[in-house]
Amino acid sequence: MTTDLGFWVLQTLNALQLSMLLFLLSVGLTVIFGLMHFVNLAHGSLYAFGAYMAASLAGVLGYWGGFFLAPLAVAALGAVLYFTLIRSQRRAGPMAQVLITFGLIFVAVDATRLIWGDLPIGIAVPAVFEGQLALLGVEYPIYRLFIIALGLAVLAALTLVLTRTQVGAMIRAGVDNDQMAACLGINVERMFFLVFVVGCALAGLAGAVAAPVLSVTPDMGLQILIPTLIVIVIGGLGSLKGAVAGSLIFGFVQTFGAVLMPTFNSVLIYALLAAVLVIRPEGLLPAKG
Amino acid sequence: MFTHTPLRLTALSLLAIGSLAYAFVAGFFGLEILAEIAILAILVIALDLVAGFGGMVSLCHGALLGVGAYAFTVAANAAGLSAFPAMVLAVALSAGLAFVIGAICARSIGIYFIMATLAFGQMAYSFVFQSPLFGGDDGLSGAPRPDLSAIGIDLTDSRAFAIYAIAMVALTYLVAAATLRSGLGRSLIGLHHNEKRLRALGLTVWRAKATAFAISGALAGLAGCLAAQHTQYISPGLLSWTVSGEALVVVILGGLGTLVGPIVGAVLFVVLKHEISALTPYWHAIVGMILIAVVMSRANGVFGFVEARMAARKPKPVLQKADADA
Repeated sequence: MTTDLGFWVLQTLNALQLSMLLFLLSVGLTVIFGLMHFVNLAHGSLYAFGAYMAASLAGVLGYWGGFFLAPLAVAALGAVLYFTLIRSQRRAGPMAQVLITFGLIFVAVDATRLIWGDLPIGIAVPAVFEGQLALLGVEYPIYRLFIIALGLAVLAALTLVLTRTQVGAMIRAGVDNDQMAACLGINVERMFFLVFVVGCALAGLAGAVAAPVLSVTPDMGLQILIPTLIVIVIGGLGSLKGAVAGSLIFGFVQTFGAVLMPTFNSVLIYALLAAVLVIRPEGLLPAKG
Repeated sequence: MFTHTPLRLTALSLLAIGSLAYAFVAGFFGLEILAEIAILAILVIALDLVAGFGGMVSLCHGALLGVGAYAFTVAANAAGLSAFPAMVLAVALSAGLAFVIGAICARSIGIYFIMATLAFGQMAYSFVFQSPLFGGDDGLSGAPRPDLSAIGIDLTDSRAFAIYAIAMVALTYLVAAATLRSGLGRSLIGLHHNEKRLRALGLTVWRAKATAFAISGALAGLAGCLAAQHTQYISPGLLSWTVSGEALVVVILGGLGTLVGPIVGAVLFVVLKHEISALTPYWHAIVGMILIAVVMSRANGVFGFVEARMAARKPKPVLQKADADA
């Protein structure tokens, strides 16, 4: 099986698809942390909310309605959270933030159960992306290729914004030294808000694209949280490159681990995380060199 | 350092008298809840020891509890040990594992420490979940309760078991308080305040942290043994990070770094859980909102709040010093 080229192509595509999904989630979380030093454990809940919104809106407006509106709905929820909880806890230290957002997870899981019920919801893949595509000798679902392409597009857009625009330069300055950035006349507080909301929207987008592939359940936010945290810790908190590297490492280790060494698969990624924390406690590509 | 203020002693006596009195009058359901409170209390005392006094906020205590529970069950069933040697073995294993985790994570601080312990906890969870030796997803059943018939106590009776569990809480508390009063405990509190200074004074930082973590792990393992004996069925869910998260919630609700507060928190948490879940299936949401409210109020939990109010009423320098240490 392992000598067959098709096998490698198929698993590589699977790994890429998982990586890109995790990238959409982790990039928001990691930039929020890098800029605000805020640990948002409820990020996974925002992803679940995005998936539910996409599923509900898809029933009314069709897939693309959900695809475009769900991130906006999650961004709006993020704005509400920012003004009610996040802003006042900015300087409260990681302990209080972990606890408050942990409490938010509890609330979010039960809120989704209350609104959408306990049963999994499925939504259909949009008509454009139905079916399979023959690629290097394997048949691969087009929708999953779309997820990979979307992830790459978001990555390209974020890289462009962060490295080539003034807003990007301001954000990088804020990550590097927020007090100095504020002294130079950058409205750091408004930038925080912007980054937080965009991060929430990306989490919502991840939920919306994941909805047709995975089933939408109340605990999906909790399930994705640990992989997302692993990604940003391996990659290095606060850095875009780190989020990319972490997502790829997680996606490939998880996918190839599952097929090549199934007995050790689930321990493998945690062992890798532990090794990274021991050897490079700041992650592989931390924001501050 | 850790001191027993009159308030703490009063709260401890009230808890001891109250729980024992309840153990003698309660029906079957009440006794089950009492045992559940006692097991949770042991776990949160263990967590408060490292998180409250040493600043090592651990998200692997659920896993340490689970390792204790599994080690006890396997040692008693597969290896055929009787209950007490199996408990000693399980506690030693949890302590050893905690020492290794503590030693490896000693360099990490803040959010990195939380993440590192989370990683180790999830590693243990995945290992137990996947390993056929431990029954995987199905868990293991048939953990025995200790045989105390020699001194006329039948632990299969839920009243006797509840009292036995309360006695174990008392033992745990004494171990934790003695640790905090020892040289190690003072170093631990010092490390929380200023690690650089203690390093300069010649303390081997990683060893102090790892030893404290091992003691905490041993207590978590004891809680695991009791959990296995209580329900006589264990599943990988015991090791999940959400168990650790819930323990942290209980510590916060009760009062971080007070050692007494977490016990109060355990009582409140279990009682609230049963009361609210009788009314609505969405009790987690209520707990979440209470947690958010407590953290945002900036009070140090229920017990910490009472302590702060008492200290404000009688501003004695001795009391304030004790507060600052806690």
